[in-house]
Amino acid sequence: MVRLEFHDPSGTIEIKRPHAARIPALAGKRIGFVSNEQWQAYRMLPLLKALLETDFPGIEVLPIDAFPQGNAVIGSEETAALVKASAVDAVVIGNAA
Amino acid sequence: MTNAVAGLGLAPDAAMVTFPIEMFLPGSDIGLVEARKQEFYDGLTRWRSPLAGAGAGEPPMLRVEGTSVEDTFARANHLMLSNRWGDGLPLWPPTRERVDWILRGTAEARRRKLGTFPPRGGVTTVESCAIALAMAGGRPEYLPVLVAVVEAFLDPESGSETLQAASGSAFPVVIVNGPIGARIRLNAGFGCLGPDPQRPAGASIGRALRLLQQNLGGALPGIGTMANYGGLRHTNVVFAEDEASLPAGWAPHGTERHGFAPGTSSISLAFANGAVNIRRRGAKKETPEEDALQGMHRMADFMRVPNMAGLAGYEHGTPGILMIPGVVAQTMVGLGWTKASIREFLWEHSRIPAEALRRAGGPAWIEIDTSKVVRESLALDPWPITAQPENFVIVVAGGGHPTNSYWLQGYSPGVVGRRIELPAAFESLLAEAERDLGPE
Repeated sequence: MVRLEFHDPSGTIEIKRPHAARIPALAGKRIGFVSNEQWQAYRMLPLLKALLETDFPGIEVLPIDAFPQGNAVIGSEETAALVKASAVDAVVIGNAA
Repeated sequence: MTNAVAGLGLAPDAAMVTFPIEMFLPGSDIGLVEARKQEFYDGLTRWRSPLAGAGAGEPPMLRVEGTSVEDTFARANHLMLSNRWGDGLPLWPPTRERVDWILRGTAEARRRKLGTFPPRGGVTTVESCAIALAMAGGRPEYLPVLVAVVEAFLDPESGSETLQAASGSAFPVVIVNGPIGARIRLNAGFGCLGPDPQRPAGASIGRALRLLQQNLGGALPGIGTMANYGGLRHTNVVFAEDEASLPAGWAPHGTERHGFAPGTSSISLAFANGAVNIRRRGAKKETPEEDALQGMHRMADFMRVPNMAGLAGYEHGTPGILMIPGVVAQTMVGLGWTKASIREFLWEHSRIPAEALRRAGGPAWIEIDTSKVVRESLALDPWPITAQPENFVIVVAGGGHPTNSYWLQGYSPGVVGRRIELPAAFESLLAEAERDLGPE
């Protein structure tokens, strides 16, 4: 038999950004949307907002345009500060394709 | 889709709900949002990163056994392809011996970290580069170039995080300046973008970069990269500027764009999403002046397109890389053209009339751009394809023949340069290359 040993080229992974803790339940929570207004976000995110409001009593879902929209601004520090100041418990970001 | 989201700046392992592309098209049925609403709810409440706890330790060496050398080589290739570590062409298994041989091309520690390859986040070291170069059929003397290229690629200014995921089929373009180009047989002349058995450096270095983009960066077709077409990605584009043919007074690209002293071995990295050959010379009895002017108009005409992907480099990047043969550059200088006047001409004559831009839907893309300079450019009629003439990259390269020039259309937020660092034993590596490849 001929044997060959070689390096795994996929290397190792480094996770640099920790994720926010999940919220235990959605009922009674305050949820926001950050939209880039791309890829049918203008239709999909309002549908998801309506579903959340239907399925979870006491939930407050902010309007889709509560925060600045568009690829140009959703990644900015200003938008992040607005999200933080809004005291939402969680945000949904969309859309990418 | 995971990495496509990371292209927007999110972590590669972020909680996501993914759908078939059809749902993202105008007029689509979005009923799946309701059918899969629980996934959104779980993402907000119960989700945990699939990569939590990952990253500890090096992966173990891989082993294959076969009944013969050929059988073992085939099994190694099958293992790499089935793990999605290749490009479909035969690979050199990166054995310890081959990788150590490649590492002779650097004086740097093999574990020196160059960064993490976006968006997957693979830890990228000098050894990672050597492994990729080994797989790509490379040689030790190519390693200093690849390390410099990877450093530039991982510089956020390059825009590589978006490039890696985007649908635009962009590919890296590497221009090498300084003496190292000729010394490692990096082609600057005839067929400099194509295969050349006597000058394989560009293909190997570019292929190694591609393998890093996939294996560490996760840019796999339809999974990590949404590139519709992915052209020129087997080897990317790696060539040397033909500095020996530069007209008097023309600085090498590395000096002009990045400020490296003439004679410095360096790389310059940009991204492009198109490549086209331009028939530059005239066909009848044009005077030299007519021939030059018609060629300039023809090149500008090729550039006058609504390349909305190019907006990423509108302000600080480049609308593209124009390659012209040395014989053409020298002739034009003899006629009174300068590099600055060539750029001015191209900038002026590649402008798009506002009406043409409007009918192509250009204003919508310009209005949503992140750059204020881009948004404000909409007031200009005709609309310039880049903010300033200096953004055009013009390099002297290609065979010594006046007929064609070559335009690599830009998709490049930045043009990033790096100096190439050579090991003390570089001369002996070149002697070995001469022995292995034969006289040039």
